[in-house]
Amino acid sequence: MKSLRRDFSSNPQAANVSSKVFVRSTKSGKVQKIVRELYLRQDIPCSSKLCTICPSIAPADANGNIAPFVLSDRPAGTKAFPRGHYLVPDTNALLNGMDLFEHTGAFYDVVILQTVLEELRNQSLPLYNRLLALIKTDEKRFYLFFNEFRLETHIRREPDESINDRNDRAVRMVASWYGEHLRASSTKAKKEKAVPAIVVITDDKDNLRKAANEGVTALSLSDYVAGLEDSEKLLDMISEAREARDAKGSARGQMFYPEYYSMSKLTTELRAGTLHQGVYNVSPYNYLEGSVNVAAFDKPLLILGRDNSNRAIAGDVVVIEVLPQDQWKSPSTKIMDEEAVTRNDNPETEETEAVVTEKERKTLQEEVKKAHGKNFEGKPQPTAKVVGVIKRSWRQYVGHVDSNSTGAQAASGRRQQTIFVLPMDKRVPKIRVRTRQAGDLLGQRILVTIDSWSRDSRYPSGHFIRSLGELETKGAETEALLLEHDVQYKPFAKSILDCLPVEGHDWKVPASKEDKGWKGRRDLRDLLICSIDPPGCQDIDDALHARPLPNGNFEVGVHIADVSHFVKPNNPMDLEASVRGTTVYLVDKRIDMLPSLLGTDLCSLKPYVERYAFSVLWEVTPDAEIVSSDFTKSVIRSRDAFSYEQAQLRVDDSSQNDELTQSMRNLLKFSKILRQKRMDAGALNLASPEVRIETDNDEVGDPLADVKTKAMLETNSLVEEFMLLANITVASKIYDSYSQTALLRRHATPPPQNFEDLINQLSKKRNMELDVSSSRALADSLDRCVDPKNPFFNTLVRILATRCMTSAEYFCAGAHAEPEFRHYGLASPIYTHFTSPIRRYADLLVHRQLASAIGYEGEDGRAVIEGTSTRSKLEDICRNINYRHRNAQFAGRASIEYYVGQALKKRGENLATKGGDTGTDEEGYVMRVFENGVVVFVPRFGIEGVVRLEDFVLPGESGVRSIAERRELAVHRTTDFDNEEYTLRVQEKGHSEKERSVLVELFQKVQVNVNSVKEEGRGAGKRRVRILITKA
Amino acid sequence: MPLDTSTTYPLTRLRLDGRRWNELRLLQAQISTNPASSGSSYLSMGNTAIMCSVHGPAEGRRGEGSGQAGSAGAMVDVEVNIAGFASVDRKRRAGGSGGQSSRIATTLRSAFQSHLHTYLYPHSTISIHVHVLSADGSLLAAAINACTLALVDAGIPMPGLMCGCTAGMSGSASTPRDPRNEELDPLLDLSLPEEQELPSLTVGTTTAVPVGENHMDEEEGEMKVSVLNMDSRLHVTYIETMLAVGMDGCKQIRELLEGVIKSSR
Repeated sequence: MKSLRRDFSSNPQAANVSSKVFVRSTKSGKVQKIVRELYLRQDIPCSSKLCTICPSIAPADANGNIAPFVLSDRPAGTKAFPRGHYLVPDTNALLNGMDLFEHTGAFYDVVILQTVLEELRNQSLPLYNRLLALIKTDEKRFYLFFNEFRLETHIRREPDESINDRNDRAVRMVASWYGEHLRASSTKAKKEKAVPAIVVITDDKDNLRKAANEGVTALSLSDYVAGLEDSEKLLDMISEAREARDAKGSARGQMFYPEYYSMSKLTTELRAGTLHQGVYNVSPYNYLEGSVNVAAFDKPLLILGRDNSNRAIAGDVVVIEVLPQDQWKSPSTKIMDEEAVTRNDNPETEETEAVVTEKERKTLQEEVKKAHGKNFEGKPQPTAKVVGVIKRSWRQYVGHVDSNSTGAQAASGRRQQTIFVLPMDKRVPKIRVRTRQAGDLLGQRILVTIDSWSRDSRYPSGHFIRSLGELETKGAETEALLLEHDVQYKPFAKSILDCLPVEGHDWKVPASKEDKGWKGRRDLRDLLICSIDPPGCQDIDDALHARPLPNGNFEVGVHIADVSHFVKPNNPMDLEASVRGTTVYLVDKRIDMLPSLLGTDLCSLKPYVERYAFSVLWEVTPDAEIVSSDFTKSVIRSRDAFSYEQAQLRVDDSSQNDELTQSMRNLLKFSKILRQKRMDAGALNLASPEVRIETDNDEVGDPLADVKTKAMLETNSLVEEFMLLANITVASKIYDSYSQTALLRRHATPPPQNFEDLINQLSKKRNMELDVSSSRALADSLDRCVDPKNPFFNTLVRILATRCMTSAEYFCAGAHAEPEFRHYGLASPIYTHFTSPIRRYADLLVHRQLASAIGYEGEDGRAVIEGTSTRSKLEDICRNINYRHRNAQFAGRASIEYYVGQALKKRGENLATKGGDTGTDEEGYVMRVFENGVVVFVPRFGIEGVVRLEDFVLPGESGVRSIAERRELAVHRTTDFDNEEYTLRVQEKGHSEKERSVLVELFQKVQVNVNSVKEEGRGAGKRRVRILITKA
Repeated sequence: MPLDTSTTYPLTRLRLDGRRWNELRLLQAQISTNPASSGSSYLSMGNTAIMCSVHGPAEGRRGEGSGQAGSAGAMVDVEVNIAGFASVDRKRRAGGSGGQSSRIATTLRSAFQSHLHTYLYPHSTISIHVHVLSADGSLLAAAINACTLALVDAGIPMPGLMCGCTAGMSGSASTPRDPRNEELDPLLDLSLPEEQELPSLTVGTTTAVPVGENHMDEEEGEMKVSVLNMDSRLHVTYIETMLAVGMDGCKQIRELLEGVIKSSR
């Protein structure tokens, strides 16, 4: 028998084969030993433009390209390194200072090691992705050096060496190799002094010491930054986490928060079902009240107070433990604003404070009393406490510096001090930030991030990233809004613009039908097609036509811009669009999903020009019964682009009898029948509190004149009905062809308990019933909710009912069983989005699926579907577009809210010159009643706001008072709150006579005074819309 | 979590184990490792290690010998056994009747049945036993190479060496190629992590040794594809490139195998 031992001696290659062995544990708890081969080589370039050796050995890839060298031949230097330097950061430097590395003012020519990249990936996936993005950009000159594969820099772990020490040694090894390599390779060409220094950046003290012994230049991150210009600003950007870690060593003693359970305990108990996992949500009205939806219970579990929420921040995935029944409470009936309660906390001295301040404790105490008190009808709800955090969803937060937290010496000195930053998002606690530029940051919109929240700290600590500009300036506020809603607003990169047709705006539908562009397209240019959109619409997605057929039936067509012709799957433009997910509409700005050449020109179905389209054609009987449907790629020429008003006028004008108008009248007739059918099937007519803002008005007029409530014309619903029909028809077609991967949209039937509160309120206050057993029943009962004295009441109920529902979502067909496909609001068994591919990515995908379902082969004879053929990929996309869709809606609403505030402010200023800032008197409706205030909805502006005690104008009191005066009032007032009757009586202390008090109740119409006020405070504050109730 | 090919390959043009796109793993082989069999071999490609032994041609088993196939020529019988300890997780199930091993066995059987000059041995059986000792990707390719070596060792006539190799495609290979972007990233000889991540195919080629009068004229005979196997989904536009890369790999492997055979004399 021969020996089968590997014989390496004969093979010259074998000497360079090493292996990497590591142990990992899988999710199921199994431990695996992984052995990987490593082929060590000498042809990995150093990528420095100074080097004369590496260019000759740099290998070509499969296409014969050689990667360009990255590191500059004249790297920037500092005072300590006049010859310039290349930076070699280790993992903890990147963990602590990723924001610094992204900064455009410094940190160029950085060598990122494979060792570091791998370690970073294990530590933090988001940071890893940010680093990858940095490596991919050219301007920062980051080079990814695969040191583990280079023969000279590869090192093996010593027997007693920890993995961290080994990795640190690898970093030092690379630094010394780089130094020698550059000296050796550049001496021939240039003088010795031109060789840049190699600087290791590490925050590990041991590593620094060893580096000094080995003669490797190494600096800690803060030492390095201190040597740069602008160091003060940059120093603020170092993560707080490390300092917090350092501080832990010195044992501060007092711990504010209980410790989290260990990971193993969490996993076992989660499996056993004794603990539950869910996403932590915070009530928008009360920052101390959170809730977690878990699979095991129908209703969300309440989490009350800081002790129980235990350092969880809205959006985190947490593990919770249900509290014993005697600690169950009912949800708060009080409005609590963090800013108001904790306004006097001192960021510097917190050792002496308890985690729940006296004030907070008092407010909570009252809660408990309430829960156990009197004839409380609502049963106490189960409460829980957070015992572990599975995943933090910390992101970057936009906020402003709490002017109260800066010291008196703020404006002067550059001394480092701790300040509080109040995030725009009310659900996020204030963030403690250490900075040297407190004076400069006052009154600015700034971006900060949370680094850590340790047990001994009452508030999370974070660091400053950058300033967006002054508060209330248009630029800063718009950017803040986009950042808060995670909207990608950077201009399109060059690689994306390269995907556009080379002809640019001169692109035309090919004249000759022989052209490949015509392949598989039907010529529909002679149809009388027109589009109807909001005024000023540039991205026209859809156009319509109707014409009589010889057999007495009609042909109706919906033509949608053929975006999938221009956006091919998986090119950079497609990938960017899939990340953006949707176009975001702000009041004065549109953040496009696709470059505007496509959106507003080539794809847009503009009138009088030929355009590619994707058409859905139906044959319908005069009673709008659908006989057949057909899908085809086509070429159309729109005859006209109407606004809703224009179209309405034309249809109503009986003197117009041309064919186009006739066809629109036919469409209108069909749409009415279709709508009726839909309503009969139980479609809901929901309302949202939206207003529209027309910005093209001139400056001189009343700024509030721009704010308009949306008008609903017949032509609006004409377009809407046919789009719904097209979407439904397409949905069933693609589901037929792709039973697993069709991209559909569903609206889940809301669980009846969501409506409990509203049903209760309606029956108590108005003696009305809401039947939520089916969408049909709900639609009918909503129709019955009418108050003859109060025409808006019905809309109000619809708005409230809408909030009880779940939101619609995209999904791929395989993810749910067919009965779950139902769209509740539209009462359709199946639905998708097909009609707006210019502004929604989902529609673009559906276009591709439909094209392939009808066998369209594309102009080069290949099917175009493959884009997302696998379910898992599609599910990722669904998750992203659902998220983007939601965010886009929030951003749009926030933009309108901001605009309304600004318009009020401008008006206030105009009036102020004439004397007296009196605000605007409007009608409002009470939406919610709390113990210390009410929420009022003002339909004129589409805003809702909290009315606090001090904002009630009691009879016999002057309405015009300054904010400071009003604030004083709060303490003198008492309330009489009836949670069962939903009423709140506000009166002055000691004056219990009815004449001096105000009684408000749910759904009541009240007179309000809307005004935009600046919060007082030292110098900087922020503006909010203040609502005063003047007459109940 | 270690890095993966799709993120780092485009940045560095280096694969997870430090190879370039067109490099084979270290291939080592020996023949006549088991004197008790007619022919045997041991072959390792990277961390994939395979032991193969050939018995026969021997008289066919009773009942089968009278069958149709038996009368025309020798039957090739292949058994593949993937050892329980071959991969990261130990498989308790012994015997190797798993899906993967039987699929490899079927492919090998049909490949060698038509490859070998079986007509020389009517009414007999050539049985090949493949033992996978360690599995780290490209199993089928390594098995083809090991079988070829063992069959050569057994002295069974064949038109030339059959060599197997895998080729994969990095990047988004499930979508059609962007005609404006001609860059492709094919990879040769995939290891297990690469195989799990990327679409790949196995190609086996035969280069006939020129015989007769003109056997001095040409150094290289014509290369024929005898085995082509693909388990992953891939857009058709990439196949050609992958096939070309795979065949190029086969050529390199053939030289290595020839070296093994020649040095063992």
